Amino acid sequence: MDIKVLIDYLPLYKEALLLTLKIGWLGILAALVIGIAGAAILHFKIPVLKQIFGVYIEIFRNTPLLVQLFFIYFALPKIGIKISAEMCGVLGLGLLGGAYMIETFRSGLESIAKIQTESALSLGMTKGQVLVHIILPQALSISVPGILANLIFLLKETSVFSTISLMDLMFTAKDLIGMYAKTIECLFMLVVFYLIMLLPVSIIGSIIERRVRYAEFGD
Amino acid sequence: MKNNWLKKLLATVATVALAGSFLVGCDSAGGSTDNTSGVKYRTLDEIKASGKINIGVFSDKSPFGYVDENGKYAGYDVYFAEKIGEDLGVEINYVSTEAANRIEYLQTGKVDIILANFTVTPERAEEVDFALPYMNVALGVVSPSDAVITSLDEIGADDEVIVISGTTAETYLTKNYPNIKLQKYDAYAQAKTAFENRNGVAWANDNTEVIAFAIENEGYTVGIPSLGDQDTIAPAVTKGNETLLKWLNDEIVAIGADNFFHADYEATLLDTYGSDYEDELVVESGIVK
Repeated sequence: MDIKVLIDYLPLYKEALLLTLKIGWLGILAALVIGIAGAAILHFKIPVLKQIFGVYIEIFRNTPLLVQLFFIYFALPKIGIKISAEMCGVLGLGLLGGAYMIETFRSGLESIAKIQTESALSLGMTKGQVLVHIILPQALSISVPGILANLIFLLKETSVFSTISLMDLMFTAKDLIGMYAKTIECLFMLVVFYLIMLLPVSIIGSIIERRVRYAEFGD
Repeated sequence: MKNNWLKKLLATVATVALAGSFLVGCDSAGGSTDNTSGVKYRTLDEIKASGKINIGVFSDKSPFGYVDENGKYAGYDVYFAEKIGEDLGVEINYVSTEAANRIEYLQTGKVDIILANFTVTPERAEEVDFALPYMNVALGVVSPSDAVITSLDEIGADDEVIVISGTTAETYLTKNYPNIKLQKYDAYAQAKTAFENRNGVAWANDNTEVIAFAIENEGYTVGIPSLGDQDTIAPAVTKGNETLLKWLNDEIVAIGADNFFHADYEATLLDTYGSDYEDELVVESGIVK
């Protein structure tokens, strides 16, 4: 491996990492918002919205991100809706992630036995108090591993962004290989940069998981 | 459960160290071949013995290498590939490639020959061995007819030019016009759609390709028909595969005597370009005029 090549390419990889992180985290933020809203709608069975979200989840969980990006980026402009590549990346990731997050949050909410609500109500708590003090703390704690898995999944999904001309880590590596054919160096840096991006998420995630699930781990 | 994160960190450090040492190991053990990345190839005899040759072609670059309406590979490159298969007496296994992975496919032995409109450049010649050329090419820039770009100086600071990753157009603009913003795609089909959607002000590529695009699609003009140096297009084999390279060179010289590539042009390119470009594009027996 040529160390000089690694150093030469470093700025390009850094730029790609920043772009990947920017789009990745904006997409995840959107996914979390959609996830919480959607889970609440499904849990409280709000009419009409419930059906709309049901269809949305099925569409986005059963099509690959690549196909969704193709549709948003290449097909929508044909009917006059033109979105920038970055916006398209955020939108694609947010909508895909949102569908997954809804199911994750919902699984947390549904896992709390109904008897807890009934008991709390019989003790004189209001519905709001039950939600804030009884249901949500437990539901969130149960959802945490799923949410973390989704985060890492979404950050890794950014690797298909090359399709819509976004210079993410994957495309930067492929592009440099195409131009200068320094394959080993480029792929090695690609692995290292993905680890730089994902390892902290994984590590911090483990720590957070232990904190919020103290009651379950119990040590 | 305790020290869970510590375990993760340790596992990763171990993985990276292992991967690193493996890669470095590959490098130092590369002495048996003359390329440092551990290239693999099949000699002429091995290909003949197997009865099958793997040829890398484009599947989306009409009229040079594409899949026609019957699902068959066709085009100028493919016409030549068929001849190679016939004269070698082996079956052809076409492998669809993208611009950016043509060198990779040769170095990893996925294909024996690349016939994907591969422009000869000094950088590429360091990684693969080119046979004699069979076509001329230069770069060209196409833009919508209502906003034709006739000089690269007209491109504004916020404008983006579409290129395909791994092409000579990309390398040329990166090197000579670093201020022009490039919008890169990894496949022809996507670049074309993006260009039609007007995601960029112009599309830079081989002039053969942009001329074909402007002829086939209404409303586009090739404002810059020739840019940079006149280059040639040639088949490429894995670096060091001398037996196959020699056979290819002999073949190109031999079939050139019968004006094979003129026949190729007339069969595959005439519909698109007309006869005006025939002598400009075709190279016979590897002799560039």
